[in-house]
Amino acid sequence: MDLLQRWVARQFTTRVIVMMPVAIAINIVLGYTVQSVLKLPIYVDSIGTILVGCVAGPLPGAITGILSNLIWQYAPGIGAGSSIGPFAVTAGVIGFMAGIWGYLGVFRSRPASGLRLIVPAAIAIAIIVLLAARMYTIPQYSDPGMGYPSWVNVAIIGIGAAASISVALFVYLRRDAGGAWVAVAGAVTGIVAAIVSAPIAAVVYGGVTGAGTDVIVAALRQGGADVYNASLGQGLLSDPIDKTITSFVVFLILAGASSRFLARFPLGDRLVRVEASDANDAGATDGN
Amino acid sequence: MTPERPTATSPVVAEAEEAHLPEFVRRIPVGPYRALNPVTKATLAVVAAILAFGVRGWTGPAVVLVVVVSCAWTAGVLRRMAPFALATLPLVASILVVNTFLYPGAHDTIAKLGPLSPTWTGATTALQATLRVVAFGFSAALFALTTPVDDLLVELERRGLGRRGAFVVGSALGAVPSTLERAREVADAQRARGMETEGGLWRRFRGLVPLIGPVLFGALAEVEERTMALEARAFTAPGRRTILRALPDSGRQRAARWLLFVGSVVAVVVTLATPVRLP
Repeated sequence: MDLLQRWVARQFTTRVIVMMPVAIAINIVLGYTVQSVLKLPIYVDSIGTILVGCVAGPLPGAITGILSNLIWQYAPGIGAGSSIGPFAVTAGVIGFMAGIWGYLGVFRSRPASGLRLIVPAAIAIAIIVLLAARMYTIPQYSDPGMGYPSWVNVAIIGIGAAASISVALFVYLRRDAGGAWVAVAGAVTGIVAAIVSAPIAAVVYGGVTGAGTDVIVAALRQGGADVYNASLGQGLLSDPIDKTITSFVVFLILAGASSRFLARFPLGDRLVRVEASDANDAGATDGN
Repeated sequence: MTPERPTATSPVVAEAEEAHLPEFVRRIPVGPYRALNPVTKATLAVVAAILAFGVRGWTGPAVVLVVVVSCAWTAGVLRRMAPFALATLPLVASILVVNTFLYPGAHDTIAKLGPLSPTWTGATTALQATLRVVAFGFSAALFALTTPVDDLLVELERRGLGRRGAFVVGSALGAVPSTLERAREVADAQRARGMETEGGLWRRFRGLVPLIGPVLFGALAEVEERTMALEARAFTAPGRRTILRALPDSGRQRAARWLLFVGSVVAVVVTLATPVRLP
């Protein structure tokens, strides 16, 4: 019990308490801009949540996510007519998972070269391909009774390929093996988020949420998918992309922040850069 | 901690409550709905959400809508809720169109319009979802329009929310408009140097990066300063703050809160888990 209390207290330092409202505001403002103003078929409303989760831990992450959606819904001015409130559950799960990624040190920059760069990147790309293949082989997609349009599989392959290539390029150009793990974490978070969201969207809103993603839902229904499966299909298309992009944004922010800033957060020791000389004790520092 | 330390129930606060702070310090709202304690209003909003979303069919949302509208009428904010009703239009339009025209598995066609065939099942589902969305949207609007955030936070802190929770919620609400303002400035600045925010999907997508970067780094730069400021003001000191401002509450309201909350949960459980079906 005492251990649990200390675990909780360690995650909520003053710095984290200050960070949470900033993160909530970032979520709401960017999400509102992307969903309601730009009408893109992604969300970008969890940058703050994932940021807090991976610098502070699962609980602050989850609370940031839940509060973001609730405050967004009830905030005078922008909340009216948005459908975000009930998805607080999803946001909480995303933040909690980000905390776990933070504990695992996923968001740490890992400057590397040679094999140390290629092996993690290859593993990560393999995992992305595996996830895409897993989605590809979901029986509902190929079952004509479920009636997904025929382009769903093409879209999945396209997204999988694009994601793999982007990760490979990112890892190669920045010489940073960390990007590979970030991509995997983002994709896994996205799949979980889609699975959590679909029943909410289906039960509460009849499957459509008034955002840019409705286009995909409509297309899937046109193909004959039922309410729940259309929402799930839309989620499985949008969420992994969205969370991977979001995770990369967070990763870039953390890579851009000073070690001094990061080290003061509860999980700071798992975020600060591993120096190339430590990572490659063979001395292959590649001239940086 | 000395025993004389004033707490919510101690004489010091009771006196302040009794004396009623002068109106230029704090205007106590009047009227049957407005005079309710902020926590009661919050409970009403939560119960409205539970009922509107949890009780399926027409009954739940309809009851919520009627109660919310009559509360709004009593509080005199019915007219100010019009913009909120307008704001739900895109969502409502999307729900109506997608469900009416593309309801999977429905064959009771209303009419044939070229390649489209709207169905009764779809239309019914769409109208029910619309009713839910509107009822919930109105309850959120009523709460937002009649409850000053400060009052709610003060009340929650008195009931043991803790100053950290109060700070996070209060500060986040304040940070939203200022961040929105910053995002607008950044967008204007980027547009001035040629960023495209209109046009095709890819073009809008590319507009994201120069928007997100400056907004994020600007916001994070403040974290360090605010942390210092809070630490310097004994934010982490042990013990509870004494809150002088007390808002009226009553035993009846407390009972009503519990009754409403438990009642709404029971209603949801009954309609979901038993054969009882409301229209």
